Amino acid sequence: MRDFLSKTRTRLRRAVAADAESGDVGTDAATATDREPDPDDGTVVTDGGTAAGGDGIVDRLNDRFGEDFTESAPFWLPPFLLVGLFVYGAIAWNFVISLTDYQGFIGPDYSDLDFEMYVRAINDSAVIDATVNTFLLVVAFTAVALGFGLVLAILIDRNIRFENTFRTIYLLPMSLSFVVTAQFWLWMYNYNNGVVNIVLGTVGIGPISWIGNSSLVLWAVVFALVWQFSGYTMVVYLAGLRAIPTEHYEAARVDGASTLKMYWRVIIPQLKGSTISAAIVLMVFALKAFDFLYSLVSGYRPPNGADILATKMVREAYSTNNWAYASAIAIILFLMALSIIGPYLYYEYKQGNL
Amino acid sequence: MKDTELNRRDVVKGAGALGAAGMVGLAGCSGGGGGGSDAPIEVLHGWTGGDGATAAEALEEAFNEEYPDTELDMNPIGGGGNQNLDAVVANRLQNDNPPSTFANWPGPNLGRYEGVLGDVSDLWEEAGFTDSHVQEAVDLHQYDGAFRAVPLGSHRLNCLFYNTSVVEEAGVDPSSLNSVSALVDALETVASETDATPMTHGGSGTWTKTQLFGVTLLGQAGYDEYMNFVEGNPSRDAVQGAFESLATIFENYINDDSASIGLTESNQNIIDGEAAFIHQGNWAAGAYRNADDFEYGSDWGFKTFPGTEGMYTLHFDSFLYPSNNPSPENTRTWLEFVGGEAAQIAFNQYKGSIPTRTDVDMSEFGPYLQETAEDFADADQRPPNIQHGLGITADQRSSLNDVISSEFTGPYNVEAATDGFIDAVSN
Repeated sequence: MRDFLSKTRTRLRRAVAADAESGDVGTDAATATDREPDPDDGTVVTDGGTAAGGDGIVDRLNDRFGEDFTESAPFWLPPFLLVGLFVYGAIAWNFVISLTDYQGFIGPDYSDLDFEMYVRAINDSAVIDATVNTFLLVVAFTAVALGFGLVLAILIDRNIRFENTFRTIYLLPMSLSFVVTAQFWLWMYNYNNGVVNIVLGTVGIGPISWIGNSSLVLWAVVFALVWQFSGYTMVVYLAGLRAIPTEHYEAARVDGASTLKMYWRVIIPQLKGSTISAAIVLMVFALKAFDFLYSLVSGYRPPNGADILATKMVREAYSTNNWAYASAIAIILFLMALSIIGPYLYYEYKQGNL
Repeated sequence: MKDTELNRRDVVKGAGALGAAGMVGLAGCSGGGGGGSDAPIEVLHGWTGGDGATAAEALEEAFNEEYPDTELDMNPIGGGGNQNLDAVVANRLQNDNPPSTFANWPGPNLGRYEGVLGDVSDLWEEAGFTDSHVQEAVDLHQYDGAFRAVPLGSHRLNCLFYNTSVVEEAGVDPSSLNSVSALVDALETVASETDATPMTHGGSGTWTKTQLFGVTLLGQAGYDEYMNFVEGNPSRDAVQGAFESLATIFENYINDDSASIGLTESNQNIIDGEAAFIHQGNWAAGAYRNADDFEYGSDWGFKTFPGTEGMYTLHFDSFLYPSNNPSPENTRTWLEFVGGEAAQIAFNQYKGSIPTRTDVDMSEFGPYLQETAEDFADADQRPPNIQHGLGITADQRSSLNDVISSEFTGPYNVEAATDGFIDAVSN
């Protein structure tokens, strides 16, 4: 331990010295000279010194994963193990449970593993509907929220008056929890006295049963979620827009591009990064729409036509204690989430951001 | 050199050990349980609001008065009907960390706790519950040959409540309604004679519809057909007939915003005079009692659901006894108390339910509950309900609600709903 500390100290000193040398050499000469006679320094001129010592495993690990791999282990290993157990371990265990026939309260039988629950899920029309609904919710919500947020951001970015006020107004819904917005929208969607039907009524439409109509309710939910999250998308895009140099606008103008063309050809393509990061966050929120649906009906059985995998999973687990089946549904949901996050991580990796 | 290596490794090992220790520590938190007979009684229940909360407080107070030396830890878990309570109970039973006792329904519903409920048969015997409670309670609290729970009170499900001034305005005499078709005619009269909603229905959950199906089947097809359904030999004609009546009611006589309101708002329509009738269990009457200037008789009335005269559709609120009990002796004390007269009076008079004992003095209950208790005692039949655990298993109930959700929340598909219900309960 002492050795380790002294080595760290040496490294730090070296780093400081290097800094000083590259900067103003004269002022920090003391540091530079102090470095030379350090007795500990002898054997460990570089990390290569350790390597020369010849313990294979540590070396190979360091060679493979970078020179600080073992040395930095105390910092990353505990969280790595904790996350490994509680996140990935839990997923793995969940997968194993999904292979059993576990239901009720008499523990699972791990000796008889098969994919029966997945076969059952594929043949269960309720699961198919829930999968389709989940997919539609994720795609529609993300696309509309991105589009809406982009338009808002561009409008707000045009040096309008009360810019900050508008930004706050649009961002505020984001600060509310799903529980609150679900109750808001439940009232607003009320057939008789909801504000949505009253407004539509003034232009001669409706009234429409938003929650009671199984082909509309999912879109009603999507609309409410878009209302909540387009402000967030707007902020992300606004940051992206602010990062684009004014010269690009000017150059486009000089070349005679119309406003529409300028945005379409010059500005929006530069917002790729913002789009991707906002889309990922939105998709994750869409998968979490459980809260919204749960609050909408005060229970885990959403209105017909709005059932998603998350609510179906909880219903299977807690209303009938079909743990194995619920686990199988959870794995399906997990794979859906992975199919969204996976490509993103790969993209980031290719970009060198990971 | 070697020293350096060892030290580094030690650090790594140390870190790993720390992590492992952390995990063990965390795991330790979820363990717990065990304990001797001195452990306080932990009671999980779902009565967190309104009458329920008042009733639970009265129950706790009565217990502390009778057993001042026994520690009681009431742990209410509200929300989502009983969904949150059930989820907490399920997690704790699964983790082998059961509470002392928890509130739930007996009957086939006990099947979902198969393997984790203890045997309290000797308690029933010693306390004389088998004689002092109605026979249905004795039957329904047994599962797999042993008593598993003790009843606290009973709600009635075949109730039709009405707003007196609305039905008078429409010229309908509720007491004359003695069949489902007479009810439908009365709803038509209300629709044509008044601006009020003939029947208010909170349909944001499916349970209100499943519950209404049960009472409609009972009222229209009779006790025997109803019991055939519950016992797994449903007659297609009976089920289809009930669904046809329900489709008529839902298509024509309920509030337009039914899909977006729940029981509370629906019940408010009766109090506000915006609707004539509502079908509910008699817990709905609690809201009438708490409303200002809304009195039984002059403002609201009760009629046994048309066609179910002479019957009392049973519901029980009971406390279940988990095996591997953290406080076996004290829990027995609690259960003995729950099945006794003091507890049943303390709780039920506020909850709006009636005692399951046959020997309780009803003088402390209001006039409505006194009538209910008389009906209960005099009932020719006491059929078990289907939505609240007594008639069918939790699995079957879940299937019925799936069918209601997909086929009977509008548009109302009678054929498909009939098929679904018959599939769900058939043996």
